[in-house]
Amino acid sequence: MLSLAKRVIQQIIGDKRTLALIIFAPLLLLTLLYFLLGNTTYTPTIAIKENALSPAFVSQLKSEDVKIVDISSSNENANDYLKNHKDVDAVLEVSKLTGANITMFESSVKSGKAMEVIQTAIQNTAKNIIPIAKVNINYVYGNTNDSTFSSLGFVFLGILSFFFVFIISGMALVRERSSGTLERLLMTPIRRRQVILGYSVGYSVFAVIQAILIVLYCIYVLKIHCEGNALWVILVMVLMAISAVVFGAMISIFSHSEFQVVQFIPIVLVPQIFFSGLIPLDTIPYYLGNLCYITPVYYGCTAIKRVMVEGGGFCDIWMFIVALLAYTFILCVLNTLALKKYRKL
Amino acid sequence: MEIKVEKVCKSFDKKPVIHDLTFTIDSGEIVCLLGPSGSGKTTTIRLLIGAIAADSGTICFGDIIVPNIKLLNKIGFMPQNDALYDDLSGEDNLKFFAGLYGIKKDKSEKRISEVLKLVELTNDRKKYVRNYSGGMKKRLSLAAALIHEPDVLLLDEPTSGIDPVLRRTIWDQFKNLKNQGTTIIVSTHVMDEVSECDKAALIYNGILIHFDDIQQLFAKAENGKVEELFLKAAKEQEEGAAIC
Ligand SMILES: Nc1ncnc2c1ncn2[C@@H]1O[C@H](COP(=O)(O)OP(=O)(O)OP(=O)(O)O)[C@@H](O)[C@H]1O
Ligand SMILES: [Mg+2]
Repeated sequence: MLSLAKRVIQQIIGDKRTLALIIFAPLLLLTLLYFLLGNTTYTPTIAIKENALSPAFVSQLKSEDVKIVDISSSNENANDYLKNHKDVDAVLEVSKLTGANITMFESSVKSGKAMEVIQTAIQNTAKNIIPIAKVNINYVYGNTNDSTFSSLGFVFLGILSFFFVFIISGMALVRERSSGTLERLLMTPIRRRQVILGYSVGYSVFAVIQAILIVLYCIYVLKIHCEGNALWVILVMVLMAISAVVFGAMISIFSHSEFQVVQFIPIVLVPQIFFSGLIPLDTIPYYLGNLCYITPVYYGCTAIKRVMVEGGGFCDIWMFIVALLAYTFILCVLNTLALKKYRKL
Repeated sequence: MEIKVEKVCKSFDKKPVIHDLTFTIDSGEIVCLLGPSGSGKTTTIRLLIGAIAADSGTICFGDIIVPNIKLLNKIGFMPQNDALYDDLSGEDNLKFFAGLYGIKKDKSEKRISEVLKLVELTNDRKKYVRNYSGGMKKRLSLAAALIHEPDVLLLDEPTSGIDPVLRRTIWDQFKNLKNQGTTIIVSTHVMDEVSECDKAALIYNGILIHFDDIQQLFAKAENGKVEELFLKAAKEQEEGAAIC
């Protein structure tokens, strides 16, 4: 068994590209996501008809972080104006009949910002007149200043690590099968469970390194806020990566070529992303949300969330750890049984 | 160790590939499985080692029934495709197989040097297998089959793609091994190699048409050529089909 694990490690170290794919690709992607989803400092542009609005509100609006264009002289309607002026994010009109009307070009991050600014301005103006209208928004976990990345970062942490390990272990086993080396190595007195164990150990070494690197990178370089103890996050990530190794091995048993492993990606990996916490599960109809219990990413990501966002400790995540361990164990047993196809003993 | 094959049949996807195979190989013999492409040589070897299970019939090595995991310790297997790890060096490939047989480290080092010398790869031991030539891969694959000093060797076309000079030395090695008591079963479709063996099993379309000492076989063939026996078998099978 050890000689098998040793060989897997030797092969990966010899293959620089695979090594880079396991270790650095997730870091690169996380950095990219960080910039894509991080806090933007965008200043929206809003068009108003100044003379139609109350002076108090206009001065309040101008004091916000926003660019104001006065379109009192224009007689275009709001839709046409936005179509002709792509640099304007929103048009704010007030009429006696319909109240405040905000028109935006399309729903996007930019128009969201514009909306936010207008709302704050309305609130702040009202606050000076009637104090009751002041609204405070509080979150149990996290705060309003959290970017999308810091509040959903834990999901990507889990998915990315799972994804890369899954592909690499699945591919390697299928290659072994198609090159005939699997049959050959099964014609030696090695036990089937030793084969599966040897593989899992070999790949897990890299999976563990990767998991640790990702967590440290996220916390210390990308500065994702981690409420609880980072060691628990690392533990969960490591377990999830190991489950990805055996999951990949499982898939490779049902495929005859590397291409077929790729075909499994949409069927197997995409649902895992759905159930990882990006979408609230209790809003899914027909109890489809319960499908989450068959995806290892669900256990991993929920546990990471408990620690990173809610500051939980071992008591809050032990059931997820047990679930991941059980998942890995069951897949190992199934893989061992599946090898029977190659050797009855 | 005597190898006894009794009434073995095997079909793939309901298509019969091996029909009613029965023969016995004595300890320390070199036997060649001879037959045209697709006749069932590889299938026979895989049945012998237990990589695939027979539909009916039994295969015994001594008094051990195949498949048996302890038996695998005594068998050296060389598949028809090279089945080596391209991304490891020749030496590391052998180290890996030695590890699978549980050979201790100091002993395996010595053994690896021995088999590498045998197949004349000592100078290329550190090279990656992906940079080996076809014949070099074949030789390394042979070395891997010899690594644990097996009592029985099952070799699927060990000499195809190897030049006549090296082929000669390899056959000499086989004879050395035979003198040490190793039983060797070799598949080939090169008729000339028959004369190197003690016995030959002629397989045609999954049917064992002849199994005999080679002197006997040469005597049976009209002009002393083994091809004759295949041509005759082809004719007979055709006639048989016509009658049906
Ligand atoms: N796994 C398999 N599934 C289906 N058919 C198979 C399988 N393996 C072998 N066969 C069929 O069995 C027959 C015998 O194949 P085998 O590989 O034993 O031939 P061979 O004598 O080794 O030929 P060659 O000299 O070309 O290697 C062929 O018709 C082949 O198509
Ligand atoms: Mg063959």
